[in-house]
Amino acid sequence: MKSGWCKIALAAMLLCLLASPALAAEPAIAVAAPLTGPAAAYGDNVKAGVDMKVAEVNAKGGVNGMKFKVEYFDELCDPKEAATVAPKIVRDKNIVGIVGHVCSSAHLAALPAYVRSGVVAISATATNVAISAQNKDKSGKAWSFRDVYRDDFQGKFLARYAKEALGLAKVAVFYENNDYGIGLKDAFVGEAKKIGLTVVGEEAYVKGAADFTPQLTKLKAAGPQGIFLSGYYPEGALIATQAKKVGLDVLKFGADGFDNADYIKLAGEAAEGTYLSTPFIASEAGPEAKAFVDAFKAKYNRDVDYMSANAYDAAGILIQAVAHVGVDRAKVRDFMAAMNTPEKGYKGITGLTYFDEHGDAQKPAFVKMVKGGQFATAPKQLK
Amino acid sequence: MFEQQLVNGLTLGVIYALIAVGYTMVYGVIELINFAHGEVYMLGAFFCVTFITALGMPFYVAIVAAMLCCALLGILLDVVAYRPLRNAPRLAALITAIGMSIFLQNLAMIIWGSRAKPFAQEAVPAYLAETALEWSGVHLTWLQIFILGVALVMMLGLYLIINKTRIGTAMRALAQNKTAAALMGINVNFVISFTFALGSAMGAVAGVLVAVYYNTLYPTMGYVAGVKAFASAVLGGIGSVPGAMVGGVVLGVAEALGAGYVSSLYRDGVAYAVLIAVIIFRPSGILGRAVVDKA
Amino acid sequence: MLAKLKPVLFVLAAAALAYPLMPFSNDYLLHVVTLVLVYMVLAMGLNILPGFCGLLDLGFVGFYGIGAYTSGLLTIHYGMSFWVIVPLACLNGALWGVLLGVPTLRLVGDYFAIVTFGFAELVVLFLTNEIWLTRGPLGLPGIEPVSFDFTWLNPDWYFELIGEVPYFYLAVAMVAFVWLVMRRIEDSRLGRAWFAIREDTLAAASCGVNILRYKVIAFAISAGIGALGGAFYARWSLFLSPDMFKFWESFLVLCMVVLGGLGNIAGALVGAVVLIVLGEGLREILPILGLAPETRFLAYGLIMVLIMRFKPAGFFPAIATASARNPLIKDLKKRLAGYASGEKSGTAA
Repeated sequence: MKSGWCKIALAAMLLCLLASPALAAEPAIAVAAPLTGPAAAYGDNVKAGVDMKVAEVNAKGGVNGMKFKVEYFDELCDPKEAATVAPKIVRDKNIVGIVGHVCSSAHLAALPAYVRSGVVAISATATNVAISAQNKDKSGKAWSFRDVYRDDFQGKFLARYAKEALGLAKVAVFYENNDYGIGLKDAFVGEAKKIGLTVVGEEAYVKGAADFTPQLTKLKAAGPQGIFLSGYYPEGALIATQAKKVGLDVLKFGADGFDNADYIKLAGEAAEGTYLSTPFIASEAGPEAKAFVDAFKAKYNRDVDYMSANAYDAAGILIQAVAHVGVDRAKVRDFMAAMNTPEKGYKGITGLTYFDEHGDAQKPAFVKMVKGGQFATAPKQLK
Repeated sequence: MFEQQLVNGLTLGVIYALIAVGYTMVYGVIELINFAHGEVYMLGAFFCVTFITALGMPFYVAIVAAMLCCALLGILLDVVAYRPLRNAPRLAALITAIGMSIFLQNLAMIIWGSRAKPFAQEAVPAYLAETALEWSGVHLTWLQIFILGVALVMMLGLYLIINKTRIGTAMRALAQNKTAAALMGINVNFVISFTFALGSAMGAVAGVLVAVYYNTLYPTMGYVAGVKAFASAVLGGIGSVPGAMVGGVVLGVAEALGAGYVSSLYRDGVAYAVLIAVIIFRPSGILGRAVVDKA
Repeated sequence: MLAKLKPVLFVLAAAALAYPLMPFSNDYLLHVVTLVLVYMVLAMGLNILPGFCGLLDLGFVGFYGIGAYTSGLLTIHYGMSFWVIVPLACLNGALWGVLLGVPTLRLVGDYFAIVTFGFAELVVLFLTNEIWLTRGPLGLPGIEPVSFDFTWLNPDWYFELIGEVPYFYLAVAMVAFVWLVMRRIEDSRLGRAWFAIREDTLAAASCGVNILRYKVIAFAISAGIGALGGAFYARWSLFLSPDMFKFWESFLVLCMVVLGGLGNIAGALVGAVVLIVLGEGLREILPILGLAPETRFLAYGLIMVLIMRFKPAGFFPAIATASARNPLIKDLKKRLAGYASGEKSGTAA
């Protein structure tokens, strides 16, 4: 009996030893995202965007006769898991680049492996400022890019929007205690101080919490005119409804973490009049974006959100690089690093994407609002 | 503000208490920390919504149907996962419970998808959303009163079942001494399955109430709630049903007041600090049977 | 049976040690193996409490986190060498073990378990919220890798350990060290005292074992080993975030200990191999079976339940291995078997 179990364990180990990379010669794009676990919904968004792009390209016959494959790597937004899948991705020589990771902490944990082995990663969602300083090898080449703006840009933008477009003077901040929420909040509060917007209260909550009434009761006592919700939509929807319940009926605004049709579904009437910044508004983009939005709705039966849109473009950038320089990983990186001016940028559905020397993109931010149970472009945009 | 925080804490607390009762009853009869109980609570909410949207059941009927389904699920859990391990080391059953928890959570994720869903709001009676009482800045909605009421009725019913019925007597006998109970002609496996069914039904109600209260349900919701409820059960004295109720309310209120007056960042921290402090000074929980350290 | 396997195990160990130097070695496998080795250390550390002393500890990950952050912060702020940090991190872990243990080890059963659980949650909350110290949820990136600094001998002798290979060997050394320590403790006065407490606390006390003191020592050593694992992990992964130390990790390590065989050091090692290889193996196997990646944890949970169903005492129950090792028990068994057969023939006649 005992030796039987030993044999099974040994066989399992041998199986792992022998497991060798697949032999197919198609170039592949890795999607490193949470496909299970609490953040699985975000992973699903990114997966959907990449799937759409790759399916479209393949339907047109691929590029230079090559059809693309998508390989999925589940990392649960867990830094430990991300650090484990990273060498697995690196090992698969068919993979030309990675779209991911979704969460900044997972991205940061996986980066050392990508930088060391020279694979390019492009994240559609990781907005943490720290990535810009951690993505370079010894010679200063950046191996990770992102087609999404950073938290500090968005936070500042929202502070200005609150003051200039919404005309608020006193605001409260309610942030999620994670890298995204804190990064946004810090930028927002810093800018608010500069432009003379008073922040009357700051409260935090943790991911997965369901009851926000204590904090909201406290914020209500500070008497703000508006409340900045620095976090994601599932909690945001709860906050909106509970704010109404405790009688804190003030203007709400959030960042791209709110850009999901589920926010309106979950919050119902309480969502009405929420402003949010987003990198992607279909009506502001061109006809291609319209086609994408419709195709997305037809395929997944839900409205597109910025994560899917960004992931769609991220996959597009990788495919464009392969179309120009082939499947060599270093060349793909060099091609992307050379996309450093608006002229050389990638024209996608989320507008023009080009990178600075840290791999960060300068993307415009738009403002949407919830009106009549639907997202609508806000009347005032800030340029 | 204090009164409002108290009301918030109470609402949260009775929900913890409803889940905690399930933990504590199972613990009482077979000394197992049933970590899959948080998942039963989550599935209760999902069953209820599915019955409303797919089968068009009215709200109250759907609640009862969800309770029945979860009771069956509880029995199934016991029969499939825990019964074969009745005489195995205690930790083996604990690991099985953790395994079942992972399994059920991921099953729900595959069936219903991983994104948060709104509760079928159209089925919920409209009056529940209205404000029932308002005095000196304290809001109390009908829903909150409904939750408090349902919890109270459930607890009372549970008290009657445990103390006034034959099967309740059998449960208490089992909790004291399983072998002696069996010798008295009590069908041990039946009573244990009944305990699981009862606890799971209570968990299902808690799940539905939470889903309605927050208008949201998602497959990972059982995780945090389960842990908090387990903490409540221990706080009150694990194995003691009134203890679980008291523990849940204490934990809920501590959390709400902690978030309101200490720091919202240390909201859970306050809950755990209270827990540790209480246990250090009352080593068998608030209402637990005194367990004397043999040394 | 074990004796027959010994040469095989020896060859396998040698092959495993030589593997990273082979040209066909790959980083992914090495990463997974190193991860297994880290969990082996953690499992051996945790094993002391539920395995040797019979105390259920649900908050082991707290000490792992303390060790990791001690290591990470000392590296980032003071640029200390790994070799100085490791003992410091262990001491810090053990210190917290004593601080938590002294007031709470009087508790019995699951009350103790929930207190350790609460402690681990408080550690995570501290790491998350004290942003001035730990950078909180933003994570702690940019930790320097382990290095050997011999510049005092020769200005060129500065070696940084890069890639997976050196960390593999470092982890092997760490596992070997902890394993040796555990084996020595198991058969020492200390280990005997722990077993006595586990089997019958009252009897142990009447034999003059100072229960609380031995429990606190157990807690401190366990915490120190947890912190050792953390200290290594920080310098290996080069990035820390409070998310890595959520209570799920405690459960995972506990599952390893129980799955392997409670109270058995070899069992702890096997448990670590099984659960990590299972998680990674499912990644490979599920697509072959045509299942979506989303089903990975469904299968994981199911397999855990099945293992417990069919091996309720784990792969290597402590009693079985103890009896297989102990010459007295072996002798007794042989004689009993002899009696049994003799008896049978007796009745037949």
